[in-house]
Amino acid sequence: MPKVFDRHAPPFDRLTEPEIEEVRAALDIGYFRAGDVLLHRGAPAEALYVVIKGAVEERDASEVIDLLGPKRLFDSRALVQGACAHDFVAAEETLAYILPRDKALDLMRRNPAFAAHFYRETSDKLEAFASRSEKREVGALMRAHISELSLTPAVEIDGDLTLADAGRLMNERHVDAVIVHDHGQTGIATGMSLAKAVVLDRKPLETRIGDVARYDLVTVSPQDFVATALVAMTRHAKRRLVVREGETFLGFLEDLHLLGFIAGSSPVVTGRIERAGSVADLAPTAKEIAAQVERLHRQGLKVQAIAEVTSDLNRRLMRRLFELTAPDSIRRHGCLIVMGSEGRGEQTVRTDQDNGLLLAEPVDAADLATFRRRFSEALASFGFPPCPGGVMVSNPEWSRTVEDYESDFRRWAVVPEERSFLNVAIFYDAQAVAGNARLLDHAKQAMIDTLKGEKVWLGHFARAIEQFTVPVGFFRSFITAEGRKGDALDVKKGGIFPILHGIRAIALELGLTETSTSRRIELVAAWGVFGADFAKELNQAFLFLSELKLDAQLKAQRGLGDGLVRPNEMSAIERDLLRDALYAVKQFREIVRRHFNLSVF
Amino acid sequence: MPFRPLVRLIDRLAMTDRRYAVLFGKDTSGEAVAIDCETTGLDPWQDEIIAVAAIPIRDGRILTSARYEALVRPTGPVAATSIKIHQLREMDLAAARPIEEVLPELMAFIGRRPLVGYYLEFDVAMLNRYLLSFANIHVPNPQIEVSRLYYERKFGDAPPGTEIDLRFATIAKDLGIPDLPVHDAFNDALATAMMYVKLVDYRARGIRIARMRDYEAE
Repeated sequence: MPKVFDRHAPPFDRLTEPEIEEVRAALDIGYFRAGDVLLHRGAPAEALYVVIKGAVEERDASEVIDLLGPKRLFDSRALVQGACAHDFVAAEETLAYILPRDKALDLMRRNPAFAAHFYRETSDKLEAFASRSEKREVGALMRAHISELSLTPAVEIDGDLTLADAGRLMNERHVDAVIVHDHGQTGIATGMSLAKAVVLDRKPLETRIGDVARYDLVTVSPQDFVATALVAMTRHAKRRLVVREGETFLGFLEDLHLLGFIAGSSPVVTGRIERAGSVADLAPTAKEIAAQVERLHRQGLKVQAIAEVTSDLNRRLMRRLFELTAPDSIRRHGCLIVMGSEGRGEQTVRTDQDNGLLLAEPVDAADLATFRRRFSEALASFGFPPCPGGVMVSNPEWSRTVEDYESDFRRWAVVPEERSFLNVAIFYDAQAVAGNARLLDHAKQAMIDTLKGEKVWLGHFARAIEQFTVPVGFFRSFITAEGRKGDALDVKKGGIFPILHGIRAIALELGLTETSTSRRIELVAAWGVFGADFAKELNQAFLFLSELKLDAQLKAQRGLGDGLVRPNEMSAIERDLLRDALYAVKQFREIVRRHFNLSVF
Repeated sequence: MPFRPLVRLIDRLAMTDRRYAVLFGKDTSGEAVAIDCETTGLDPWQDEIIAVAAIPIRDGRILTSARYEALVRPTGPVAATSIKIHQLREMDLAAARPIEEVLPELMAFIGRRPLVGYYLEFDVAMLNRYLLSFANIHVPNPQIEVSRLYYERKFGDAPPGTEIDLRFATIAKDLGIPDLPVHDAFNDALATAMMYVKLVDYRARGIRIARMRDYEAE
């Protein structure tokens, strides 16, 4: 048995000792060369893989979505759904454990905690995909027919069989539920009902199975929509539905089969936000959003997906809060915006609130004052810290008419001072959350037009990237000057900020309205400022550094470390990736410098 | 051993225990079996096997799910020095089976497949001693020595005078084999199997192992 197998790595930490032994007994080890494909998109996944050494890329067509290092496991989605959504390709020489699919599914059926990990991971992934402009895909999934799903085969038995025989049969056929025909009735008996009858009710093993079966079958037809099955399961609180066509039993539809669909369509938190009837109702959800960041991260969801899920939920929360606190006049003539990292959709760990209000025309002063106060107070009570720079609805400078904003833009454009740069940077990343989104489009366009061609101003704006050094030296060695012992580096200042601000400056010059850094990088590349290959590299660097930052932040929240990154605590692969990422930042800074001719400043 | 085909032929004829007939003949499985024995000492004529593990390998896949593992009860006392190495105490072996039961099982498991090992000569010498006394035969299987595969990939074209290091730990480190606690029959067989799949792949693709390793300063 592979004794190196780490039983403490999730989800294996949820298995009992005998179950771990089963896993160990069933494991094989595969060796893959760089470029070998472990799982093919669209093909069934015969096994669950756990990386021992090396790295595996998860690829969508051409894009690398994820890099899976030691102890990472894949592909849980394919495992429960049967087919892979992505290619999994060895990025380097890789050794991996191979756990046969049947064994993994068997354990999921028997151990709910183990199964829950896969539910969570798959649902989160789907949720992330869903909020990633693929809402249609989820919609399509919900409208899929049950006949398109894989079912557990239906084994039909006669009610006269004894419990002992039925149990033996179920064991032989590897099923946990059977259809029981008894005197014209049709029912269902499960492993659980057998166990209950024998262990709890002390019935003899000779008891007829027909006497312990339950006859309250919930059935669906193969032509029914997945959504129908979902509703039936929820309404009847059943984990298993019987699929039948006329008199023929086609099989069981289990929640396992449906879990992928459940996630995308009815995220629990979303539902709670939409149902909230008062500000007080929203408070617990706000806490939940903050708490799930760590959970998602621990379960291996990538930072981009976490940020998307979190941003999406935060925005829903603010929209609902806006609806609950804004008087009619403001709801009709206003637009609530979020700015900064929240606007870029890159916030994970909660930072200061950066929000504002745009008004089409002046509204009643008393109404406005009440709204400003109620909205900001509510957010503060939810745990969104007030913005020290005062970029909040409560500040009259950030909640007024579009006309007022526009006159400010003109003032900022002629006074090249720190405050102006900061305000432009923050507003340029704004996204509408509630109300009339056209107001924001209009204001942003006005800002872009005001700054169009202002080469010198834009140069000063871009120069903020020079504030901090990129912590990688000439020979690609790390410059660790941070932390108490000077052995750490700050990836936010030295890596993430130069990327997001540099790209923001170029995007602003080009008049792009996209706010996400990743999309901006792609668009700027499309404008020919740099090549598509470099764009890819820069994007990967950005995501990797964000991942490191999130990891360090979450550790710091738990009282571990100071939120900085220490290369000497990383694995060799991570160190290499970090080196590559910082090197890409360095190259990018050169590009920005040349682009804005920063050497003249 | 020279004249191996001849020895095989003689063994086949002189075999006193027909259970071992499965070892002879052409292997068509396309597989190999990584093997490691833990012993009471390093003298193949005196010491005894106390643990053995065999893991089949097929196409770069290490079939740990289909392994063979056994503890063997020694006939005499186990020296304290050797217990310190493999950490199998006499009480750990008290319930184990005698080699007379384990060996036929092990050999039937291996069948005609080639053996893969590190310093395989030693393991084979151990097995031969038992096989000679039980069945009047030698291990007939083809033998693949991973240190030789490694030597060929790394030092095959080395100029004279190159320092050559073929220690198990060195090879494991050089090939990036995960750290396993050594002196456990299964772990050692597994590490050997990992070395084997890598080296076979390197050979197939004509990849040589760099001799000067540029260790990072950090």
